[in-house]
Amino acid sequence: MTDASMDTPTPRRKKISLVADDARTKKRNKAEKRFQAYGIGAIAIGLFFLLVLATSILRSGIPAFTTTVVSVEFTLQQEEFDEAEGQLFKTKAYSNYFISALQTTLTEKGIKVSFDEASIERVMGKIGSTLREHYSASPDTLGQPVDFSLGASSRVDGYFKGRVTREGLQDSRFLTLADLDLVDALAEAGIITTTFDWNFITGADSGVDNPGGAGIGASVVGSFFMMLVVLFLSLPIGVAASIYLEEFAPQNRWTDLVEVNISNLAAVPSIVFGILGLAVFIQFAHLPQSAPLVGGLVLTLMTLPTIIISTRASLKAVPPSIRDAALGVGASRMQSVFHHVLPLAMPGILTGTIIGLAQALGETAPLLLIGMVGFVARGYPDGFISGFIDPNSAMPAQIYTWAARADASFYEKAWGGIIILLIFLLTMNIIAIILRRRFERRW
Amino acid sequence: MYDVPNTEINVEQRDIKISARKVQVYYGTTHAIKDVNCEIQDKTVTAFIGPSGCGKSTFLRCLNRMNDTIDICRVEGDITIDGEDIYDKRVDPVQLRAKVGMVFQKPNPFPKSIYDNVAYGPRIHGLARNKADLDVIVERSLRRAAIWDEVKDRLDAPGTGLSGGQQQRLCIARAVATEPEVLLMDEPCSALDPIATSQVEELIDELRQEYSVVIVTHSMQQAARVSQKTAFFHLGHLVEYGDTSKIFTNPVDSRTESYITGRIG
Repeated sequence: MTDASMDTPTPRRKKISLVADDARTKKRNKAEKRFQAYGIGAIAIGLFFLLVLATSILRSGIPAFTTTVVSVEFTLQQEEFDEAEGQLFKTKAYSNYFISALQTTLTEKGIKVSFDEASIERVMGKIGSTLREHYSASPDTLGQPVDFSLGASSRVDGYFKGRVTREGLQDSRFLTLADLDLVDALAEAGIITTTFDWNFITGADSGVDNPGGAGIGASVVGSFFMMLVVLFLSLPIGVAASIYLEEFAPQNRWTDLVEVNISNLAAVPSIVFGILGLAVFIQFAHLPQSAPLVGGLVLTLMTLPTIIISTRASLKAVPPSIRDAALGVGASRMQSVFHHVLPLAMPGILTGTIIGLAQALGETAPLLLIGMVGFVARGYPDGFISGFIDPNSAMPAQIYTWAARADASFYEKAWGGIIILLIFLLTMNIIAIILRRRFERRW
Repeated sequence: MYDVPNTEINVEQRDIKISARKVQVYYGTTHAIKDVNCEIQDKTVTAFIGPSGCGKSTFLRCLNRMNDTIDICRVEGDITIDGEDIYDKRVDPVQLRAKVGMVFQKPNPFPKSIYDNVAYGPRIHGLARNKADLDVIVERSLRRAAIWDEVKDRLDAPGTGLSGGQQQRLCIARAVATEPEVLLMDEPCSALDPIATSQVEELIDELRQEYSVVIVTHSMQQAARVSQKTAFFHLGHLVEYGDTSKIFTNPVDSRTESYITGRIG
């Protein structure tokens, strides 16, 4: 073979049997098997990590959806109210009424445990002021039994969720071992219970001192308004830009330049868009800080390249024969695009859009710079318009804020927030899939 | 070897529909069509034959300015239809294409219903005043394309679900629905089986009553069967153009003779 002179006869294939593999075939088959094994291995590793991720999120996040509640039925008589209001330490007087009532209830149930005002405060917060606030606001409930549902303190909540144990507990001004006896007794009496925490889903963020009251609802609303801005800006702008570039623009150096720039923009770190948003939208245009409108604008800038690139790819994938057919019967270029090409490219455009939106939904870095992270979203916006311009937080920003706070139950809330974020994302994807199905056509 | 043309040997002289003078087409730096002069008669089937890459499809696409969609393509020379220069700046290619319909090599129905495929042209050109008008146009077009009987019960079915031959006839129906004056066909039968081919050929012969039909074909038998005039292209030149019967029986140019006898191409 190496001697390629004209005299050497052309090498001929040896006669081989079809039932036995020759060396080459064996090698080829082995290579194919190896390749398939790599593939399966890669998928297995991927699935493993997905499983680890899902279990750790669920394990750490599920407790955030339950809360430990102290519910006590308490009756205050008119005379008692008058007497308490006449004293110097009014809330202390209320506390004393509550403690004696609680003592009576426990004794009736045959549970013996001793506690004082301080331990009650450690377990369920400042009960005296809660009672006083209630009766001052609605004096007509005096003399009637009222159900007080109070959130247990973060550490008591942790005790029920396994975060705090008797063994690991050191007496401190937050919780002592003796308090846990009281807690056990109250749990036995059915006064302390664990319930599903609707406040976590519907509520707003609380301050650092009240982890039990923190909810993600307000920032879900913030994210929702941001996504509205992103969707209604980036989809039309992105699709229009891609249609122009793909179907109308002449192929020259300028369009090449634009194309290269769009591809590069897709790879720009998101924090760069954040600082751009800070400079342009807040410092220059004086839009309100921490507002979903500004967040949405910044995320729109970030999402546009993704949408443009995927839209152009799906426009390119439409067979040119469809354009020819439309032009051939005398349709204008715009008619051929809007009547025929765009509907066929729609599934791809939707996929790109949803990928862009999902990316935007999970983005935290640019929000840091426009002030949506440090802000404590204490309430809901008043209406549709104020949803855009009132300061609010967004889900990933809220999660980031919680994860940075000291109290362990905020950490738990962060995991819970991740679950809500993923549910939001899944919902978005499902809507996209349904829309895709609707637009998908055979050809 | 050749079928005897089923049309009369002596084609009576008809009006000139399309006239091309000194047409040059460049793709970038490639000179694809060189100095083509050609007069296409009304109510006649004209066949363009020639080996692959000789420019016959390119020339065909010049006649309704489909080459405009190719960025690097440049057309020089004069092409007139009914005496009007179609490359005049004032000519809107959209109007031109309504007048000069086209059927492509590969059947390319829209991924819509059969009805919508045919109705699309009339709709965008405003040929129907109402739904009833449109129904009439759709039925007439499908009948002319000899596909009405096959699809009349399933006009709502997708056009892409038809067989290849049916799809091509649907595309012809779509082209005639806009009432063009000239119908350009770019190898309309190359993807079809012999039965579908013969149906399309019969159709072309019928369309001749009302239209000027220009057909590009690789099949010399087909050219001989359906056309009255034949143009032979070779390497961008229009080598010979004349009555089909003459081209196939007594060609003037040696290249034409070589091609039709199978020595080149």
